[in-house]
Amino acid sequence: MEADPRLSRRLRFAGLLLGLGLLIEAATLFWPHPTAFLVFLLLGGLLVAAGVLVYLFAIVGPINRPRSFPGK
Amino acid sequence: MPFLEEALAGVVLVAVALIALVALRPSLTAARGGRILAFLAFLVLPLLATGMGLSAHMEQSKTTEFCLSCHVMEPYGRSLQVDDAAWLPAQHYQNNRIPRDKACFTCHTDYTMFGDAKAKLRGLRHVYVNYLGEIPTKIELYEPYNNRECLHCHAGARTFEESDLHKEMRVDLGSNATSCLECHDAAHNVHELEGKPSWKETRP
Repeated sequence: MEADPRLSRRLRFAGLLLGLGLLIEAATLFWPHPTAFLVFLLLGGLLVAAGVLVYLFAIVGPINRPRSFPGK
Repeated sequence: MPFLEEALAGVVLVAVALIALVALRPSLTAARGGRILAFLAFLVLPLLATGMGLSAHMEQSKTTEFCLSCHVMEPYGRSLQVDDAAWLPAQHYQNNRIPRDKACFTCHTDYTMFGDAKAKLRGLRHVYVNYLGEIPTKIELYEPYNNRECLHCHAGARTFEESDLHKEMRVDLGSNATSCLECHDAAHNVHELEGKPSWKETRP
């Protein structure tokens, strides 16, 4: 069964945000500096939070709205 | 914490792999198993990884390397290497009386990242001042050095407790009425480092 294209798009977008966020978080652990912690929290953490929110919106948001067809 | 970073790397890798799988094949979510997989990949594992990462950063902030990573702390790092028996930090560091990889945290347990919320906010302000503000010429503790930082190791130690001087003022030392630094007053003294010889670490 094919997924709804909107769900697919949202999942891909959420996946991109989460992937980037997780990679940034992991990278900051190789840098023992206070700035690394701020990058972890403010960049990585925000991207992960955004990705989680987009995912939650994808699964509970309106994707099965009936479409109207011309002439009907 | 042992293996925290390895475990975190594992969680991140698994999370990224599962996220990629679901994102590239969203039709998986049509089935119940696929939806559970997506829930794990997009919610549980990222939040777990972030929590573990926070913990790893807190542990990393206790390392000497972390403290000395800011340029302004360079003289304090040098004070650990001074070849002078009167220098307290040097004596502790060079004789392995404190772990060298956590030298700063061992004696400053309530400073910035290690302390309460107020201390952590101060730490953020330090980062701000380091990059955007004016670093003061003399760095001082916010409160007088607490004897607790000495006593958490020295209390109960034979040489400490059996010293006649310490016996006389033991109660005052315990209550902070008398500071350990009144007698042991050569702390970092970074403004007196000029010209002091450095100890060269030797290992067998």
